[in-house]
Amino acid sequence: MFYRLSGTFHTNYQADRKLWKIPADRWQIIIVFVLALLAPLYVSPLYLGSYVLPWVIWSAAALSLTLLMGMAGQLHFGFAAVMAIGAYSSIHLVRAGIPFEIALLLSGIIAAVIGAIFGAAALRVKGLYLVMATLAMQYLVDWVVVNVPWISGGAHATLRTPAVSFLFMDISSLASRYWLALAWAALITIFYLNVKRTSFGRSLVAIRDKDFAAAVIGVDPFKTKLMAFFTSSFLGGVSGAILAFCYYRAVTPEQFGFNVSIQLVAMVLVGGLGSVIGSYLGAGFVLLAPIFLTNLIAGLASSGWVPVSQNFLSHLPLMIYGAMIIGFLLFEPLGLAKIYDNIRKYFLVWPFRHARS
Amino acid sequence: MNWMRRTALSAALVAGMAVQAPAEEVKFGLLQDFTAVYTFVTGQYNQGQRDYLTLINEEGGIDGNTFTAIVRDTGNQPQRGIEAYNRAKEEGAILFDFLSTPVSAAILDQADADARVVITPAHGRGDASDGTVFPYVFPMMATYWAQAANLIEFMKTNGGGIEGKKIAIVHIDSPFGREPMPILDALAEQEGFEYRAFPYASPGNEQSAAWSEVRRYRPDFVLIWGAGGGQAVSVRTAIQNGIAPEQIHSVIWLAETDAANVGPQMKGVKRFEATASGADHPIIQRIQEKVIATGKGSGEEANVGNSYYNLGVATMAVAVEAARLGLEGGEPLTGETLKAGFEKIAGYDAEGLMPPVTITAEDHQGGGAGRVSEWDGEAWVPVSEWHAAYPELVRKVIEESAAHYGEGN
Repeated sequence: MFYRLSGTFHTNYQADRKLWKIPADRWQIIIVFVLALLAPLYVSPLYLGSYVLPWVIWSAAALSLTLLMGMAGQLHFGFAAVMAIGAYSSIHLVRAGIPFEIALLLSGIIAAVIGAIFGAAALRVKGLYLVMATLAMQYLVDWVVVNVPWISGGAHATLRTPAVSFLFMDISSLASRYWLALAWAALITIFYLNVKRTSFGRSLVAIRDKDFAAAVIGVDPFKTKLMAFFTSSFLGGVSGAILAFCYYRAVTPEQFGFNVSIQLVAMVLVGGLGSVIGSYLGAGFVLLAPIFLTNLIAGLASSGWVPVSQNFLSHLPLMIYGAMIIGFLLFEPLGLAKIYDNIRKYFLVWPFRHARS
Repeated sequence: MNWMRRTALSAALVAGMAVQAPAEEVKFGLLQDFTAVYTFVTGQYNQGQRDYLTLINEEGGIDGNTFTAIVRDTGNQPQRGIEAYNRAKEEGAILFDFLSTPVSAAILDQADADARVVITPAHGRGDASDGTVFPYVFPMMATYWAQAANLIEFMKTNGGGIEGKKIAIVHIDSPFGREPMPILDALAEQEGFEYRAFPYASPGNEQSAAWSEVRRYRPDFVLIWGAGGGQAVSVRTAIQNGIAPEQIHSVIWLAETDAANVGPQMKGVKRFEATASGADHPIIQRIQEKVIATGKGSGEEANVGNSYYNLGVATMAVAVEAARLGLEGGEPLTGETLKAGFEKIAGYDAEGLMPPVTITAEDHQGGGAGRVSEWDGEAWVPVSEWHAAYPELVRKVIEESAAHYGEGN
């Protein structure tokens, strides 16, 4: 139908190596990006500040994690700790007088170094054992943040982000915070799409599929695994800093607890391991579905449709949410991205049945 | 909210005939954690809050103004709290109670900017008591610092002096668990006692390691500082380690449920309380009569009169009193007029349910009075009078910490 593959030929290398080869895909991307860019103009502050902004930031975080879990196949159950390192370092660096732009980069590097140290466990262990090692990171970082008042900000363990500007743009209004977050998400997205096509990306995939087979064909597992943790933690650290400065603006240890790590893993899994659009869909689902369900159920309850106690009323959205996760994964184990892919493929060859790609 | 609106409107109609001022619907956002960490308190606490608002509406509201509670679950997640706050703000809520430290922390600055009142009764930042730094935040009851001071003073007057004694504080390993330390440091120096902290890992289902250390320390008094399921574990493990129930003193989070979980050995354990428990109070009686008996209650009848239920009632009693005072100027209620109302509260004690509270523009804690009560096997029996302990010292810690916050922390 609207994909119109007929007549689209890639006659030179440049055309064949485009990120989006089909014109219809390009149009969709451009429309979505323009809509996202103009969101502050037509989305009300309620929805921009409580739905779109956190969605964009968490998508960036999910993309950072999916680089490690999806592309390199290394499980990480302590990613919230990586984000915490980024968030806390960026705040302390800005307070120390370092410009925000540089503090963002430095906080990413600090998160990357610490993340890579813990990632070194991946050189020895795999699968569930690696999950344990990364969990240890989560708890160690939590413990250090809570127990070192210098990091967590004193008795109440709340650090407020200082006022900052980014490239001479003042980051205080909702729209400016949103644009900064969007720029970061767009940057990670482009990076991720491209890294898939580099030799680094291919060696990550080789390591994921079988690390000793990768070693046989000349991929150095030591270097590649460490680089995977380093890159992913760098992106996660900056995402954490963006989360602190653009969204929470006051950081407490609970914002980066174990449950947040699990949410991030859920975003990546529900969305579809290693997929870009899956990260966006997964983050949207895990972050926003409970909120939508809570409001929906509360709305139904107040109009007298579900006459139940507040306690049950609060748990009902969680039950539906859990059932939805199970339902989606039963329906399509490869995640929301695969559902999107199926729909796209259906229309690619519509009105025929089978897709080639 | 249709049925609420209907009851509210009909109540407003009835009341509106007597008063000339245009009656309005005052909205309070009770956006709390019903599903994650604070579940041990939220259910009963929120039930008390809503029943009290229903009672006020049944009695005709305040000058015909009726009260509506916007209740949402935040699951203790800041991003859900922010969403619920923004939504309730659009719906017109002027007062918020989050009953969650991370959610409150993420919203404090925004609420200040939006001029919306945030109440943090018996939880939240102690330094928010300094109204000059936190204009829109009202702890309005004894903060954790005032609670610690009150318990120490009780040990001093009722435990035969405190000089040279040893106190063990067994606390959950979190910022909340560490909160009383500044007060304990200052008091240890002033009163000449020795204390040592024994943290246990969150959520506190297993504390034997900490308590065998406590046993070796041989304390004269024990202070337990946790919340939820961990509290019953603390009391039980303490008794197993040879500590007498009479030696155990708890932060405000110890209630009937915990006593039921511990069993008969609990007798003699003491805790701080900011509101009286039991149903034998004029306000609770009226709730029984006009709300519960007529089927308008918001939860199980068995909870009425519980510690946390009464705490919820008291918070709304203070808030409604603030609304009454805020309306005295003849202007409609907004965040600003409600804040002004709070700061006019003088000697209000919710008909004996709580100690008299006087809130000023500087002191948003309202004096920080409370008392100690003891579990007698059936109920919590007060063993001291309502009063504020070491108010100057507590105030000093509040101001130091608030100044620190003003600088950016």
